[in-house]
Amino acid sequence: MHLCVRARMSIKFFQIVQLAYWRMGSITDDEVIRKRLLIDGDGAGDDRRINVLMKSFTKWCHSNFSPEEGFSQYQRMVTSLAQCEFSMGKTLLVYDMNLKEMENYEAIYADIEKSITSAHEKIAECKKEIQRAKRIRKNRQEYDALARVIKQHPDRHETLKQLEALDKELQQLSHIKENVEDKLELRKKQFHVLLTTIQELQQTLENDEKMESDDTQESPMENGD
Amino acid sequence: MGPVELLHMSVFSQSFSPCGRFLAAGNNYGEIAVFSLSAALSPDASEGSQKPILNFTAHDGPVFTLLSTDTHLLSAGNGEISAWSWAELIKKSTKAAWTRKPSYETSLEIPEINAMIINPKDNSLIVGGGDNNIHIMDMETGIFKSVLKGHTDYIHCLCFKEREGEILSGGEDGAVRIWDSRTNRPVHCIEVFRYEECARPQFGKWISCLATDSDWMLCGGGPSLSLWHLRSMSPTSVFPLPGCQREAVFHQDLIMSVGEGPYVSHCLHGGTVKAQIPCTPSSLNTLALNLKNTEHRVMTVGGSSHQIDVFTNFSYRAFSLSF
Repeated sequence: MHLCVRARMSIKFFQIVQLAYWRMGSITDDEVIRKRLLIDGDGAGDDRRINVLMKSFTKWCHSNFSPEEGFSQYQRMVTSLAQCEFSMGKTLLVYDMNLKEMENYEAIYADIEKSITSAHEKIAECKKEIQRAKRIRKNRQEYDALARVIKQHPDRHETLKQLEALDKELQQLSHIKENVEDKLELRKKQFHVLLTTIQELQQTLENDEKMESDDTQESPMENGD
Repeated sequence: MGPVELLHMSVFSQSFSPCGRFLAAGNNYGEIAVFSLSAALSPDASEGSQKPILNFTAHDGPVFTLLSTDTHLLSAGNGEISAWSWAELIKKSTKAAWTRKPSYETSLEIPEINAMIINPKDNSLIVGGGDNNIHIMDMETGIFKSVLKGHTDYIHCLCFKEREGEILSGGEDGAVRIWDSRTNRPVHCIEVFRYEECARPQFGKWISCLATDSDWMLCGGGPSLSLWHLRSMSPTSVFPLPGCQREAVFHQDLIMSVGEGPYVSHCLHGGTVKAQIPCTPSSLNTLALNLKNTEHRVMTVGGSSHQIDVFTNFSYRAFSLSF
């Protein structure tokens, strides 16, 4: 009973407020009509049910029914009341559900915001990585290109070894040359000595022959005297 | 501009504005067109945003080279260099800031200017062209202070090594000459066509593209595009690209080059061609990378067509700007 009265009173109160606004002119006719339709349209079943309940209650109180009819009327009113209560319970649950949904959505929204910012950061990081990788690749390529050119030239160790061998050979040959020259000098000197000795001997022999021939010329001249 | 003129148009040069939001391109009719990159790259771009915001005739002959300083756009064609202020160009005013001519020995014929670069160390403009010499002009005073003589045929391309302050020049005579910018004396001369692995006698000995990355140098043209190590003056890799390359750049770990053939070649330093990206012009003359502006980081190529291809991701063509 209190429930119906409270419900009706709240609706009536709201209607009074609407009327007051309309009187003051701060709300238009359309608004009033719309609001009324909304409220009444929404709770069409409920409001009618409450009105019917009130009417049947007053009729039941005032009129004289036979006990069965009165009882059946009473039953009908109780069912009607139960229906109203059920409807109210349902609306409350829906309201709770809506609140929880709102919270849920807020949480999801915050999550998505966070993941967007982290994705942005990751993208920036990846961009830096790619720049670094490009630089590294360029350096590697340049290194490879130079290495290819360098490989075309002969190995330094080999060349050095070849140079060393050639040096040694050169030294050996010059050594031999020196030796040969020394020998040549020695032989030249020996031959010179030999030749001078021969010449001197020849000179001595010639001198001797001359002296001998002088002697024989002198002796026949002495005999002739 | 009738359809026949459009058909015969070739884009020879490109340059990005110092802010990176505009592109200037020069063609063989002597016109310079300024395109707005921010309009063309914006999400609500339309057909109209791929047309130039300003198109004017800058020279009598073709505009062979364009160069951007911090405030001006320099253009050169048949023997004279004009400067246009970028601020004025953006406001669509086509009055040249100044026009100068290097001092040529003969006044009979005016040789064309094929390449221009800026030496940032002493703020001078280095110009090379048809008279086989390199002229150096001081940007502040406008006086041509020196001439580098040595090439025996006209100069195609110029390049500057920042670290050592050396100028590299490549020409029709097949020689890449390295000059010291402070003493203006030649330092080295590399005759690329004498090296068997690079030489392609069927194409000739001319060098039409030069790029340098401190110790490394790219050169190509008649001979195959090859990567040289400058300290040892030896070719390290030769790229097996079929046509003659007209422009090549170093970018991060790749080498990008354009030339004969309707594609941009991406190559690795090792000598392999990683990819060939197709584009609209049947052969390409110029490639430009907009690295100054991170929002509009694009590569644009132009060649034998009135369309300039724009690559937002360097691996495929996004759209084309057209004259």
